[in-house]
Amino acid sequence: MAQIETRGLTRTFGEVRAVDGVDLVVRPGGLTGFVGGNGAGKTTTMRMVMGVLRPDAGEVLWGDRPMTAADRQKFGYMPEERGLYPKQKVADQLTYLGQLSGMSASAARVAVAEHLELFTLGDRAGERVEALSLGNQQRVQIIAALMHGPTALILDEPFSGLDPSAVDSMADVLRERAASGVPVLFSSHQLDLVERLCDSLIVLARGQVVAQGTVEALRAGGPTRFRLVTEGDVGWVRDVRGIHVHDVDGGTALLELVDTGAEQAVLRSAVERGPVHEFAPVVPPLSEIYREVTA
Amino acid sequence: MSTQTTPTAPSTPSAPSTPPTGDGLRHPWLLVARREVATKLADRTFLIGTLLTLAMILGFVIVQAVLSERTQTYELVATASAAPMADAVAQQAPTLDDDLVVNVVPAADDAAAEAALLDDEADAWLTTRDGSWVLIARDEVPSDLEAVTSTVVRDTVLAENATAAGTSVVDLTTGTTLESDVLVGNADQRAFAQGMAFALAFLFYLASIVFGTTLANSVVEEKQSRIVEIIATKIPVRQLLAGKVAGNTAIAVVQMALYAAIGLVGLRFTEYSSFLPSIGGALGWFLVFFLVGFLLIACLWAVAGALASRTEDVQSTATPVTMLLLAIFFGSMFLDGTAQTVLSYVPPASAVLMPQRILDGTALWWEPVVALAILVVAAGAVVLVAERLYRRSLLQTQGRLSMRQAWSAPE
Repeated sequence: MAQIETRGLTRTFGEVRAVDGVDLVVRPGGLTGFVGGNGAGKTTTMRMVMGVLRPDAGEVLWGDRPMTAADRQKFGYMPEERGLYPKQKVADQLTYLGQLSGMSASAARVAVAEHLELFTLGDRAGERVEALSLGNQQRVQIIAALMHGPTALILDEPFSGLDPSAVDSMADVLRERAASGVPVLFSSHQLDLVERLCDSLIVLARGQVVAQGTVEALRAGGPTRFRLVTEGDVGWVRDVRGIHVHDVDGGTALLELVDTGAEQAVLRSAVERGPVHEFAPVVPPLSEIYREVTA
Repeated sequence: MSTQTTPTAPSTPSAPSTPPTGDGLRHPWLLVARREVATKLADRTFLIGTLLTLAMILGFVIVQAVLSERTQTYELVATASAAPMADAVAQQAPTLDDDLVVNVVPAADDAAAEAALLDDEADAWLTTRDGSWVLIARDEVPSDLEAVTSTVVRDTVLAENATAAGTSVVDLTTGTTLESDVLVGNADQRAFAQGMAFALAFLFYLASIVFGTTLANSVVEEKQSRIVEIIATKIPVRQLLAGKVAGNTAIAVVQMALYAAIGLVGLRFTEYSSFLPSIGGALGWFLVFFLVGFLLIACLWAVAGALASRTEDVQSTATPVTMLLLAIFFGSMFLDGTAQTVLSYVPPASAVLMPQRILDGTALWWEPVVALAILVVAAGAVVLVAERLYRRSLLQTQGRLSMRQAWSAPE
């Protein structure tokens, strides 16, 4: 499977530069989370990747060549604003969309039946879309993106509007698709979810990529911190060289490493001064990394 | 919200590495057109409307046929003194009016005749009063009976008076009649052709409005529900436009052809059946012109739909199209002479005016060919312009767009 890559992707609406020279890579075989605040340019970027919007500058690559409409036809896409024909029956509509993706009518019908079962909508096949609950409409939308065996998935906020168990099964489906070698890019506001699911991450702020890479790499790029909890007061750590004291409160201190190995000196001093209850590296949550890179 | 109860990872339907390729790839517009047609055929309102219209056409034709076939029989009561005149009426009635049969009911005297009228045993009473003939009915004298009777009475009395004066009716009336004739064709046939032209122009107007509105609404439905964003990643927007226009044009033309066929079959049973062969060729032209003209107008409707963001906007974005159609309709009714000739070349008015001129018999053989060629070229140009407007406005979802905005909008 190929990877999705953008180079210098730029788009301006009137005076506003919504997307400003975005270079990103979505690798096959893993889930890539796309995070950023409202108006950061996620949706605009995804629409340009899907060819719905034309970039003012820059290009979108599929593997090592420019992405074509034929490539995109095989993708699964879930736009930010959901929509289906409200008055058409669920199965008919999905079959039609499958055919537009290049499936034969019979293959599309089989795939629709399978996916409706998978998403526990088997008994709703003959109903009009407007008769379904919003959550179920969301599932139909997901089926529309998945049913044709897409070669890539571009999903704008796929988890919004789903209840926790639906989020879990959706996550399973996405992981399974990613494991089969398909690049998956999805945007989300739920950072904990992104942290739990994603292999890599792209952070967008004000139309620009401010961080990109695997979650571990992003963490590694940030400062290394240790937490020290001792019986007595730890005010003395302020005098230790090679560390920056982030916070001290009684027997608890949060230290940031400046010189490699300085933490060993801290530990030795602590043990000399009395009992040590805890001394451990602090793994910053994604939300903290996010705040730092978008600040 | 309902709960999802299958947390297990799916296995079977996942990612077949090469999805099977269907005909959707080569002709996506056909898929779109097929969906348009299927949606329309599944629409109960549309089906009921079509059936009702067919029933109305059929009913109208049947009523016409029955009326023209039915013979009216009248009972004419007369006393002995009026009996010869009444017999003359009864005898001449079938020759004067195809649909009229008169039976004479003898009455003993005036009182008996009057009683027969009041008892509904007779429809009219023929008698004399103060030396003049009078036709009396209970409440209303049937106009066809009155017409026939007055003719018979006038001829009979005229003949009697002529004999009394020593001359004859023939001598008296020689050279007094005025006959009318037309140089081209036949007056009745001409009136029929005009009626037909009006009916067809109206049909075109109606179909354009009904199907155009449907098309515009289905375009804005896709825009409003945002499904167009998914479709636009699957197939070129041009194919979507082509499919929608083709699907709706097909339904419109089939529906009109159905109406026309039922109407024509019905006409065979009426007194107009003899005129049918003379307009067959013109009807063929109508169909061809309608097809191309409708294609052109359908594109305009699609643009009207794309310029709107919500169904409520369509009425205002479609106003120019509606006005154009009204203008064509009224033009087809009231224009004649040079104006008609000129406009019969100007698309899209030519779609109605040229076939009308063929029906009138005022078009030379090459004229429809030229007009059709111009119409086809114009339709092609409109398709190109419409495609650009459609493509650029389809993904703009902030309110209503003007033509100018749509034309220059970035993609």
